[in-house]
Amino acid sequence: MKKNLTWRWVLIGVVTAVGFFLMWPPQKKIHLGLDLKGGIHLVLKVNTDDALRAEVDSAMERVRQALAEKGFPPETLTRLEDNTGFSFRPAPNTDQQVLGKVLEEKAPDFKVTQGVTVVCRLEDHVVRGLRDMAVRQALETIRNRVDQFGVAEPVIQRQGDSDRIVVQLPGVDDPARVKELIRATAFLEIKPVVAVAETEEALLAQFGGKVPDDAQVVPGDRRDVTDRVTGRLYYLVKKASVVTGRDLRSARRSQDQFGQPAVSFTLTPEGGKKFGAYTGAHVGEQMAIILDNKVHSAPVIKSQITDSGIIEGNFTVQSAEDLALVLRAGALPASITYLEERTVGPSLGRDSIIRGVRSGLVGIALVMLFMLVYYKGAGINANVALLLNALLLLGAMAAFKATLTLPGIAGIILTVGMAVDANVLIFERIREELALGKTVRNAVDLGFSRALGTIIDSNLTTLIAALFLFQFGTGPIKGFAVTLSLGIIISMFTAVFVSRTLFELVLARKTGRGPQTLSI
Amino acid sequence: MRFFANTNFPFMAYRRLWLGISATFVLASVVSMVWGPGLKLGVDFSGGTQLTLKFKQEPELGRVRRALESLKLGEVTIQRFDEPELHEFLVRVQNPGQEGDFSKDMVEALQREFQGGAATGLDLNNVGVDALRDALAAADPEGVGGSLESRRQHYQAQAAAVLQLRKELGIFVSSEALAKVQGVSPAVRAFLEREGRFGEFTVLAAEAVGPLVGKDLRNKAAQAVGFSLLGMLLYIAFRFHLPYGIGAVVALFHDVLVTLGALSVTQREINLPTVAALLTLVGYSVNDTVVIFDRIRERLKLERGKPLPEIMDRAINQTLSRTVITSGLTLLVVIALFLFGGDVINTFAFVLLVGIVVGTYSSIYVASPIALFFTQLATKRKARGRR
Repeated sequence: MKKNLTWRWVLIGVVTAVGFFLMWPPQKKIHLGLDLKGGIHLVLKVNTDDALRAEVDSAMERVRQALAEKGFPPETLTRLEDNTGFSFRPAPNTDQQVLGKVLEEKAPDFKVTQGVTVVCRLEDHVVRGLRDMAVRQALETIRNRVDQFGVAEPVIQRQGDSDRIVVQLPGVDDPARVKELIRATAFLEIKPVVAVAETEEALLAQFGGKVPDDAQVVPGDRRDVTDRVTGRLYYLVKKASVVTGRDLRSARRSQDQFGQPAVSFTLTPEGGKKFGAYTGAHVGEQMAIILDNKVHSAPVIKSQITDSGIIEGNFTVQSAEDLALVLRAGALPASITYLEERTVGPSLGRDSIIRGVRSGLVGIALVMLFMLVYYKGAGINANVALLLNALLLLGAMAAFKATLTLPGIAGIILTVGMAVDANVLIFERIREELALGKTVRNAVDLGFSRALGTIIDSNLTTLIAALFLFQFGTGPIKGFAVTLSLGIIISMFTAVFVSRTLFELVLARKTGRGPQTLSI
Repeated sequence: MRFFANTNFPFMAYRRLWLGISATFVLASVVSMVWGPGLKLGVDFSGGTQLTLKFKQEPELGRVRRALESLKLGEVTIQRFDEPELHEFLVRVQNPGQEGDFSKDMVEALQREFQGGAATGLDLNNVGVDALRDALAAADPEGVGGSLESRRQHYQAQAAAVLQLRKELGIFVSSEALAKVQGVSPAVRAFLEREGRFGEFTVLAAEAVGPLVGKDLRNKAAQAVGFSLLGMLLYIAFRFHLPYGIGAVVALFHDVLVTLGALSVTQREINLPTVAALLTLVGYSVNDTVVIFDRIRERLKLERGKPLPEIMDRAINQTLSRTVITSGLTLLVVIALFLFGGDVINTFAFVLLVGIVVGTYSSIYVASPIALFFTQLATKRKARGRR
C-alpha cells in the first residue's frame, strides 16, 4: 500500500505542476471569448456570382470583338440570367466555320449550343472553380486588410467549403469602420474619358442616344475649385482600362495641391510601362480614376506619367488612409454581404465577466463551506479535490487553446457541481457502509468501489451529451461543450483519484493507533 | 451531521397522484406554448438586428420606437436590460427576409431623433480610439506641431485614456465626467470639453443575424439537441433494461417541456446560450436518474424476489440524502448566478434553476414510476404468454 501511495503522490504532483504551468498567469494563458473581452464577430458571404459575371462579361466582349473584326458583328448579345454564360444571335451572313473557330479560341471554357441563337454556358467544373477561387481570393484580401489594420489575434476563416467567411477581431472599438474596410471592394480602374456631361441624356445625345459598344457610362461628383461637391457629372469612358488595381505596387495617404488628404500610388514596372505609353501619347486628354464604378477624379494628362499618380476627392485623413490600405491589400474579387454580426463593447464584456465570475465564486464558496460543515474532515478532501479541479480545468483550457465564454463560465460552474456530486456519492456510500458496522478501512474501500460505477455511468451520459453539443453546436454552445467535457474528465480524476489518495493518507497515519473512526 | 438518514418514504405508493400532477404541468406547458403567449425566439433564431444601448438618462421610449420604425425594417421591439438605474435597453428590428447589416442605419436614425439632424462634431459617446486620435491630431490643442504622423503618435495615449474612462463609466453624462480622466493634459481636456458632444446614448453591443444564418443556427441547435438525446437514450438502454430507458427518456421530455413552458409563461427569450442551458439540464436530469437506477439495479441483485415497488422505494430512500445534497449545492451556485450574475446570464441561470428542481423531482416521481409501469407490463405479457 505504501509503495502504491508514492506513485499516486508523484502523479498528482506532476499533474498539478503541469496544470499550474499551463494556466499561469491566467490573464495571458486563458483566451477570453469576444463576449467577455469585447470585439467583433462577423460572418460574411462572398457573392461569388460577381466573379462569374466578370468572367462571362469578359468572354462576351472577346467574342464580340473577334466576330466584329471578321465582319460578322453579332446581334442581341446578352448575359444569361444565372450569370453562367451568354447568348447571342449571329449576323445572318456569318460563316459557320469562322464562328466555330472564334468561339473555340475566345471562349474555351464554355459549352456551346448552336441554334437560331448561340448559347455559351460555362462548364460546371469551371463554375465551381471560379466560385471557389473567388472565396479564396476574398479570404486572402480580407486577411491582408485586417493585418494592416493591426488587430491582435484576429481569426479569419472560411466556413467549411462554403462561400462564407468568419472574421473575429477582439478588442476592436470602432466596428463601423472595420466593417466598411472589409466590405470595400476597392476596384481601381483608370480609363480614357470620351465625353462628360451633367445628365446621362445629355451625355448620350452626343452619340445618338446610345452607348457606343466599346464604352460605358460612369457617374461621379462635380466639384468647384475648393473641392466642394456641387453636383453630379456623368462620364462616358472606354471599356478597356489603361491600368487597374492589379498594376499597383503600393499606395499611401498624401496631400493634394490644396493640402487636402489624398491617396498617392505607385505602379509596378509593367503597369508603369503601360501607363507611360498611354499618357505619353495622349497628353492634353482627360482620364478617369474610377473606384468601385464611381469616378473619383478625372484629371487632364499634362505630361507623360510613368510610375505614380494621385487620387484626389473628398477625403478625410481617415478615409484617405483606409482607401490607401484597401488599395495596398488588393481588390475583392466579388462583393460581400454581412450575414451575421456580433459586436460586444468592451464595457459590457468587462461588466459581465466581473459579475459572472463573482457570482460563480460566491456559489462555489458556499458549496465548500457546506462540505466542511457537513462532512467535516472528509470535506477537506472534497474541497482540495475541487480546487485542484478548477486549476486543472484552466490548465486544460489553456493547453487546448479553448476560449472562455460566458456560457463557458457556466460550464465550469456545472463541472464543479459534478465534481461535488461525485464526492457526495462516495461519502454517502462510506457513511452507509459505516452504519452497517464495517471497519473504516472496509467502508472506504467499499464506498469508493461501489460509488465508482455510478459516477462513471452518470458522467459518461453527460459526456455523451457534451460531445454531441461540441460536434453540432455553434458559438456559445460549443464553448460551453468544451469546458463541460474537459471538466467532466478532470472531475473524474480529482474526485475519485485525488480524493481517494487523501483518504489513504489519513488511513495510513491512523494505522498505528488502529483506524477506529473517520471524520466524515 | 446527516440529513435524511434511514428515511423510509413510500414514494411509489403515491406514484399515480404525482404522475397526474406531472401530466398536468406538461399539458399546461404545451398549452402555454401553442395557444398561449408562445416561445419568444431571440435574435439568434428569429433573425434581425439588435442593439444594446446605454442612455444618459431615461429615454422617452416612444421616440426610440418612432426613430426605429421610420427605417421600415419590420417589427420593432424595445425592452429594458438590467437594472432600471443603468438606463440600458435592447432594441431590435426584424428586417424580415433581408441579408445585411442594419446596425449603422439604426444608430443613425436614433442619432437623428435624439440629437437633431445629422451627427456633427465629435460625439465622445460613440467615437472610436483611432477617430478620436485623428481629431486631436488635426486640431492639435497642445500645439506640438510637426508632421501629422508625429502628432498622431503624440495624442494616441491620451485618446486611449479617454476611451478607457468611457469603458469604466459606461457613458459620459456630461463634460464634467472628463474631470476624472487620468493622463490627459489640460489643453486636451479643454478642447474635448469645448468641441466634444456628449450624445444621448452609446452602443454597448450590436448583433445582427440574417435569415440564412438564423436558419442555420436553428438547424444546428435542433441537431445538437436531437443527437445528444439519442446518444443518452442509447447509453441507458445499453446499461439498463429497456423499461428504464423509456422511464429516463419520458422524464427528460417532461423536464424539457416543463422548462420550456416556464420560458413561455415568463416570456424570456430563447437564444443559443439558452439552448446550451436546456441541454445541461437534460444532462443533469439524466445524471440524477442514472444514480437512482444504479441503486435499483444493485438492490435487485441483493434482494431477489422482493416486489419491485418496495425495491424502488428502498433505492430512492437510500440515495435521497445524496440527491438532496447534490441538487441543493448545484442550486446554490445557480441561485448565486441567477441573483448576481447580471442580465447577460440571467435567462441561462433561470433555465438551470427551473431545470434542476424539475429534474430532481422527475428522477424520483417520473422516471422510476414509468420504469415500474413498463416492467410490470412486460411481466404480465410474459405471464399471459406462458398460459
